Amino acid sequence: MDTTLPPDRSTTPLSAAQIPEDEFRVMRRENLARWPTGAEVDIDEAVAFHKSMPPHKQLAWVMRQAVAQKKCLTQPRGGVATIEMQKDLMRVLDQDGLADILPTTTDSYTRNEQFSAAQKGLEESQKAGRSMLNGYPMVNYGVRRSRELIECVDKPAIVLSGTAHPKLTAEIGLAAGFSGYLGSAIAYTVSYTKDLSIELGIRNHQYLDRLAALYAEKGVELHRRHPGFLTGTNIPPSIAIVTCVLDALLAANQGVRHYGLELGQTLHMVQDAAAIQVCRELCQEYLVAQGFNNVFTPVTSLHWMGAWPQDEAQCAALVCYGGTLAAVGGAANVTTKSTHEAIGIPTAKVNAEGLRMTRMAVYLARHIRLDGFDEFEREKELIRREVRPIVNKTLEMGDGDVAIGAVRAFEAGVIDIPWSPNRHVRGKVMPARDADGYLRYFEKGDMPIPDDVMDFHTESLRRRAEQENVPLSLDLAVQSVFDIAEPLKRLQPSPLVV
Amino acid sequence: MTGETLITGVIGSDTHIVGNRILSMALEKAGFSVIALGALTPADDFIKAAIETDADAILVSSLYGQGELDCQGFRDLCIEAGLNEILLYVGGNLVVGKHPWPGVERRFLDMGFDRAFPPATRTDDVVEALTRDFEARRGRAGKAEP
Repeated sequence: MDTTLPPDRSTTPLSAAQIPEDEFRVMRRENLARWPTGAEVDIDEAVAFHKSMPPHKQLAWVMRQAVAQKKCLTQPRGGVATIEMQKDLMRVLDQDGLADILPTTTDSYTRNEQFSAAQKGLEESQKAGRSMLNGYPMVNYGVRRSRELIECVDKPAIVLSGTAHPKLTAEIGLAAGFSGYLGSAIAYTVSYTKDLSIELGIRNHQYLDRLAALYAEKGVELHRRHPGFLTGTNIPPSIAIVTCVLDALLAANQGVRHYGLELGQTLHMVQDAAAIQVCRELCQEYLVAQGFNNVFTPVTSLHWMGAWPQDEAQCAALVCYGGTLAAVGGAANVTTKSTHEAIGIPTAKVNAEGLRMTRMAVYLARHIRLDGFDEFEREKELIRREVRPIVNKTLEMGDGDVAIGAVRAFEAGVIDIPWSPNRHVRGKVMPARDADGYLRYFEKGDMPIPDDVMDFHTESLRRRAEQENVPLSLDLAVQSVFDIAEPLKRLQPSPLVV
Repeated sequence: MTGETLITGVIGSDTHIVGNRILSMALEKAGFSVIALGALTPADDFIKAAIETDADAILVSSLYGQGELDCQGFRDLCIEAGLNEILLYVGGNLVVGKHPWPGVERRFLDMGFDRAFPPATRTDDVVEALTRDFEARRGRAGKAEP
């Protein structure tokens, strides 16, 4: 648990400014001494290894190609307890799933830096012959062993480690040859921790971003990426985009010039396509306004992150539709799920099937775009009108310093996240799905969303309440959490049966 | 007939809070007194809270697959702490991967849980099970003191 972690010893006041070289050297030395495999990290050797890989195994290059060729790549998630199982998984996802990007998800003990517990889970999994961890214990295996994962496939690989404690996992993973790393200060602190402050979350990720910038200084461009799905539960696009903008600014301040953005799908095609376009547009707008003119920001769309139906056929529809949404939205990449999503972690075979379903859907929708369609243009303007007041107020509260502004904005509830486990998040905001299937705000908490925009949200939710003959209340927001997971008989009853 | 004190929370390094929060809201609405420990709760914290509040039941949630590791020895911890009779429920996606439910349920009942609940359990079903189990216990207590 995060309360048991050693306190951050940094005494310098929080700021967005880049960590100075000499200070970072000390921070790295202390960090790498926390577990024996830290001694295996030699950044110059790692840089030479990255440079020895062909471009098609380097995720930064691959993402740039995807954007240049207007292609939507596919990427699964996946991690298991032992390296033998992990190699098998990555080979299946590569060969049977045709994944463009291969994942290594770490287990939840590793994510919380409980490396002794991860070791126990690893050993019990070896004994049991099945994975008892929900991911790969990257730090326990270390740099040399984990490089075998990079060498067993001919695709680029990304570390997926849902955590606000990325410092050691990132050192090991990047040195092993992973060329992508998912995770960011605000997004992961609010979605994966209970007690960690926004400030410490920012500091932990400043380390990660500074490390990526160090690789860049040495000639290796890495794909850093923002986990925009947040708590995965009915996140309206404007909240995701606010965190994308702020985390992108934090990363750019540390020297990152390649920063992927993610958006979890709302499952409304117009809303999702609008979100992808506006996310890219507003991140660039604020980056350029702060003097960062050359940050590459490809967008990844994520299959539905909320509760999934038990029925595998319903899940298959969600998987395919998720490919359609990513393609129509013009995303550079889609992160996939599978028909096993409701019960947890999929087998390699089912995971690979999810990739192929998605890939076919991307293919079918590859030429379809919504530009110029009235409802699409209206939705984009609505999102802009929600994001800008929140970001502007946050920057104002930090007197231009995005790190300080973010901390103060969370304290004041100017930024709020639905369903967050973190006690530093106000948690008053409450989204719900409206009559047309859009995610809207039932309650905005203390976020500075304009009144006329809120009137629009309230009205669209009132129409759903009237249609379903229920009161417009918190129950509607709770019901919206389960909507998509309901059985078909409830979701789409036959109109002929009275 | 309610009013019993329940401890809820998500065990171990698991951050999946949404279902647990909705369950806690439903239990409160049903008349129970709910101490919600939230996400990322170590096993010891469940026990501590149960002792402090003289709780009648502990409801453990786990969604991330590592519940099997986190729940090992949970009943023993309760007994060591003097909570011999406390009602123990567990629910969620309890193991890594897709396994037939009866086997998973058996594994957790063998660990000492009174009931285990599969994914997609409705909050009403939990309220009903609690009501039944508490009534049975009151019945037993009644017979013991004729």
